[in-house]
Amino acid sequence: MPDDLAIRIEDLSITYKINVDTKRTLKNAVMRASKGEKVRMRKVEAVKHLTLDIPHGSVVGIVGANGAGKSTLMRSIAGILPPSEGRIIVNGKISTLLALGVGFNPALSGRDNIILGGLASGLSREEIEAKTDEIAEFAALPDGFIDMPVRTYSSGMYGRVAFSVAVNMTPDILLLDEALSAGDASFKEKSFGRMRELCAEARTILIVSHALATVTELCDVAIWMHKGQMLAKGKPQEIVDQYLKFLDVGALPSNFEDM
Amino acid sequence: MNLTPERWQNAAVANTQKQDESFIPLIQVFEPHRASLPPLIPYVKEFWRRRTFAIELARFTDKAEYLGSKLGKVWLVLNPLLLAFVYFMLVTVIRGGGTSKNGLTTLAHILIGLFTFSFASSCISAGATSITTGGRLILNQAFPRALLPFSSSISAFYQYLPTIPVYLAVIIIGKIFYPKTQIPTLSWAFLWVPVIVALLAVTAFGLALIFATMNVYFRDTNKLLSYITRIWLYASPVLWLPEMLHGWHRAFLYVNPLGPALAANSSIWIEGKSPTTSELIGCLVWAVIALVFGGYFFTSRERDFAVRI
Ligand SMILES: Nc1ncnc2c1ncn2[C@@H]1O[C@H](COP(=O)(O)OP(=O)(O)OP(=O)(O)O)[C@@H](O)[C@H]1O
Ligand SMILES: [Mg+2]
Repeated sequence: MPDDLAIRIEDLSITYKINVDTKRTLKNAVMRASKGEKVRMRKVEAVKHLTLDIPHGSVVGIVGANGAGKSTLMRSIAGILPPSEGRIIVNGKISTLLALGVGFNPALSGRDNIILGGLASGLSREEIEAKTDEIAEFAALPDGFIDMPVRTYSSGMYGRVAFSVAVNMTPDILLLDEALSAGDASFKEKSFGRMRELCAEARTILIVSHALATVTELCDVAIWMHKGQMLAKGKPQEIVDQYLKFLDVGALPSNFEDM
Repeated sequence: MNLTPERWQNAAVANTQKQDESFIPLIQVFEPHRASLPPLIPYVKEFWRRRTFAIELARFTDKAEYLGSKLGKVWLVLNPLLLAFVYFMLVTVIRGGGTSKNGLTTLAHILIGLFTFSFASSCISAGATSITTGGRLILNQAFPRALLPFSSSISAFYQYLPTIPVYLAVIIIGKIFYPKTQIPTLSWAFLWVPVIVALLAVTAFGLALIFATMNVYFRDTNKLLSYITRIWLYASPVLWLPEMLHGWHRAFLYVNPLGPALAANSSIWIEGKSPTTSELIGCLVWAVIALVFGGYFFTSRERDFAVRI
């Protein structure tokens, strides 16, 4: 793989297997076996034959309808979901903010959760303790909330903490899935600033967002996903326009047949 | 892609700087797999590197559980203690009451047996559900999944530790009331306790890996497990003494993965006797079998967990 690539995705397909019938229990399995029935499985192809190269330092926006496979793609880049076919090569340390509240325990305080989140993403105890204050400060929760149980947070406060953890991990590759949606205007401004800083440090960022303005403002390339396939890739403004047109009149781009 | 030449260069510089900062393999490749093992050495390294995560997770989970309830921790000790007295009454009644001579010894055996058995069984039962209840963490972070059952084992160990002083207190108080009872003096044999407990912990962790994997595929495994644990208790030398088995019946002790360790543990605490060679071999063999088999079963399937949660 060329040195300047952060992520190379080769012909990636990801399939979920969903058991349609009943709950997966031992009891049901025995019952079914005794009746000679077979388990009915439904396969959902969440990502289909996707090929993509992402150079270091690029900020990639991913847009697409609900269920298009955006989160699935992000999870597979993070190494959480194994590919069913194809291959992903990642060059660099990854920090993820895939859903709000990564492994957050609601009974613990925000500070404890920051420590736990940092340890989960592979930092050592000293590293995360050195960063905790910085993260807490970035989240800028109102008076003393950082030491209150997370269950007392509003969803925006929750989102602020989660976002602060993800961007302060000094990752090489940052994956953000709907991360900016919960913050208020002032926090959004601050997080945009932080992301521009990260871009300037030549870090690679992947952003999934339904707030299309985020994509046009921050990204230097955008991808449109539709039913597991990459429909188009290009300048954010063009992609967003195409996508909006599709949402309006259901028009797929003219070159879709070739893909 | 619209990258300016400076940015390309920046990227290259940033990249070489990082090479020496961290020893995680910087290039990771994710490929399809078919129920095969992940590369073992990196897996174990990564597991070891993130052990603090497992330790802190155990500590924080306990903290969250007993936050606000001061009695919570007390129950942890009180529960097996009360259970031990119930079983003690039961055993005394079944044997026909004439056991006042060695009543305290029986009680001591049941107490230490039950405490140690609950350590092993809570390793297994908490470990079994650790994957299915860790859904969020599993869907959003990539890490060696075996850290979750490992964390449960640590948590079980933290709960086991305070039962030792409770045991000692009961025995010392008992000695005051029944001065004729023989209790062992402090001897070198007690140095075997950490060894036996460590082997027991490894065995329980290995078994936890097996049940945790099964629980992902069959969600009622942990219900089944609660019955298994109960039967397991009666099949283990906790309510009965290992000496009650003679001749080939003693094999019964060794087909039970927890048997040799519980027998050895009890004879150290009750008689101050070092474990026999066969007990030691039994502990060791079960620890290795459980860890290798459980480890293989778990790690060869763990990449499937995220899809099935
Ligand atoms: N855990 C799962 N098990 C089974 N199927 C799943 C699972 N997660 C997602 N899917 C399926 O995979 C497809 C893609 O889902 P994904 O979450 O990647 O969509 P998305 O683009 O992130 O959508 P959204 O914009 O709503 O977040 C959907 O059809 C969904 O039903
Ligand atoms: Mg999504």
